[in-house]
Amino acid sequence: MKTNFLGLKLKNPIIVAAGPWNRDGINIRKGIAAGAGAVITETIVSDALLDVRPRIAYNGTGAQNIRLYSDIQVESWQREMDIAKSKDSIVIASVSAHTPSELAYLAMKMEKFGADAIELSISSPMGESLEVVASNADRVYQMTKEVVENIKIPVMVKLSQNATNISKVAKTVKKAGGSGVSAINTIRCILGVDIETMKPMLPTYGGYSGVPIRPLGLASVATIAQTVDIPLCGIGGIENYKNALEYISLGASAVQIGTSVMLNGFDVITKIVNDLEKWFDENDIKDIKEIRGQALKHLKSFEEIKIEPITCHSDDKECAENCHLCMNSCIYGAITREEGIIKIDKEKCTGCGLCNFICPVKKLRLDW
Amino acid sequence: MNIKEIARKAGVSVATVSRVLNHPENVAPKTKEHILKVMEESEYIPNWFARGLNFNKTNTIGLLIPNILNPGYMEIAKGVEDVAHQKDYTTLLCNGENELDKERKYIDTLIKRRIDGIVLISSLLEHEDIMNIKKQEIPIVLIGENKYMSADVPLVRIDCQNGAYKAVKHLIENKYKDIAIIYGDTPEQENKRKLIGYKQALEEEKIIENPEYIIEVGNNIEEGYIAAKKLIDLKKPPRAIFASSDLLAIGAIDAMKDYEVKVPEQIAVIGFDNIQMANLIEPKLTTIAKPMHKMGVVGARLLFDIMDSKDNGDQIKPREILLQSKLKIRKSCGHKERIGEIF
Repeated sequence: MKTNFLGLKLKNPIIVAAGPWNRDGINIRKGIAAGAGAVITETIVSDALLDVRPRIAYNGTGAQNIRLYSDIQVESWQREMDIAKSKDSIVIASVSAHTPSELAYLAMKMEKFGADAIELSISSPMGESLEVVASNADRVYQMTKEVVENIKIPVMVKLSQNATNISKVAKTVKKAGGSGVSAINTIRCILGVDIETMKPMLPTYGGYSGVPIRPLGLASVATIAQTVDIPLCGIGGIENYKNALEYISLGASAVQIGTSVMLNGFDVITKIVNDLEKWFDENDIKDIKEIRGQALKHLKSFEEIKIEPITCHSDDKECAENCHLCMNSCIYGAITREEGIIKIDKEKCTGCGLCNFICPVKKLRLDW
Repeated sequence: MNIKEIARKAGVSVATVSRVLNHPENVAPKTKEHILKVMEESEYIPNWFARGLNFNKTNTIGLLIPNILNPGYMEIAKGVEDVAHQKDYTTLLCNGENELDKERKYIDTLIKRRIDGIVLISSLLEHEDIMNIKKQEIPIVLIGENKYMSADVPLVRIDCQNGAYKAVKHLIENKYKDIAIIYGDTPEQENKRKLIGYKQALEEEKIIENPEYIIEVGNNIEEGYIAAKKLIDLKKPPRAIFASSDLLAIGAIDAMKDYEVKVPEQIAVIGFDNIQMANLIEPKLTTIAKPMHKMGVVGARLLFDIMDSKDNGDQIKPREILLQSKLKIRKSCGHKERIGEIF
């Protein structure tokens, strides 16, 4: 499962994403001990402030955070990095700032303290106006360039799905000398409103993360992979090894896991690494290169899709008890049940495919 | 009580006591404990000044600020002090009062006291003064626009012109056209840039400058009051005022209260700095937030970078770090349109 990413030799493609679970040297070691290929520090800023309370909310599927930056001043990270680093561990420092010179300074400090690479976190959607930076290719260029010119270690830029054109931004990173990009950062959100008190769950906009953003992350990674030749790290809603493989199959060389670690602890890293290894063995995959980007072949532009005369077909499997889901959801009114048997009107069915996903016993399929 | 007496009392040599003070790791634990106990019993306080002479180091840095009554500088000072304190350094605060002679005197004293580094905030010092400090091999860092600036001296600043431009642009976006500026005579360079930013925003919107609306005063609350009074008394008073510092804005709002001019209904006010008071006055002041604490922290870091490099012989090149200011929308001018703040 060895992966070459950003010129670093990772023992596997699983990276613990930046976040408070990596808030100091001791916690970074936990990720390494759990088997991660690399660990990214909690995001380090120039002026570490006390965090607001509360700052994280969760609704059962997705999480909102308001501000998850390190409250350790940059000089104290020297000590934390000393603790974090051991012989074969790879630690990437996440840094964030508002101007190129401020960002470059932090990157230089972290390089001096032994970081193996830098991740530029210039796309957080919190009250810091950085989301706007991440959608502005010129500013991303200036920031990346200034950092790259001032340090020798590889630089990866964390991109936002909120950019109008994420490929354009990724191209800019490459042009500025960046070694790779990671996508996606959290997405601007309000997790919900308590209608009793009329209060939003958290008092300001925050970043949305977790399982619900995975489809967005997959699309961003695929888009970058199809348009820019740059090493890619997939982020967003990875819960298990299958999710990691989804990102890799769409062009990622490595993946980051954050929210899942926050919710389940570092054990999730061990499980994903072990499961992935098992899957590699079972499928006789020696190198990640063999699967990287394989799903892109089946990802066409809309115009390329051929229209086949497929319609829905039903097999003999028993329906689930009292289930009417397919009939309720058939937009075209093509599905009925006669004497307990599902009938599909081939004239009405347009082969949209929705019922195939809705049926709990998987008795429907498209065919012609 | 001096080091000799401690040595005699403890029955050791002066050199051993000295080692306990300066290189405790080189003293046998038992001896060290014994000497420390003697020191404690004798209430001995080491002479840190003398210690500086021995090691060519006093663990002290000098911080020269233009005006101790401007809370903005206190926030920068706190940033410097936070880093210095963490590094076990003492910060000597000198209040220059925008007088070159006073600044020179302070620098002279700081050098005599063998401080290890100097941070200058918007100082009036000239080329020869800076060269004099450099000749003594004392590291210097500048914060804010100083009279003397060169690529050889590290600098932390914000873009004052852009900040002022953002402020005036915000007023224009809130449909104000008759916009006055009250700007301070100090610090000169920063205020010059703020005036340029003001003019740039007006020009972009094709608003013709009115010379009556441009007032230069001393950078303090009292003169902000006087300037606002002057504007209120005009035949055609402005509908909005951009004050180049929060102190001036606070003075202006005070004048408007006294003369029963409603803020923002009759005249809107926007400030610059975001000192803590800006959030406490009525109406709460919309302003351009200058990252003051961060400027101090980053400035001190640059200073320690040079000081550390002196110790370990590293070569580091002087850097300029530009930090970003941000519009902070409160209640003293149009506040329905918050896009500028949220994004």
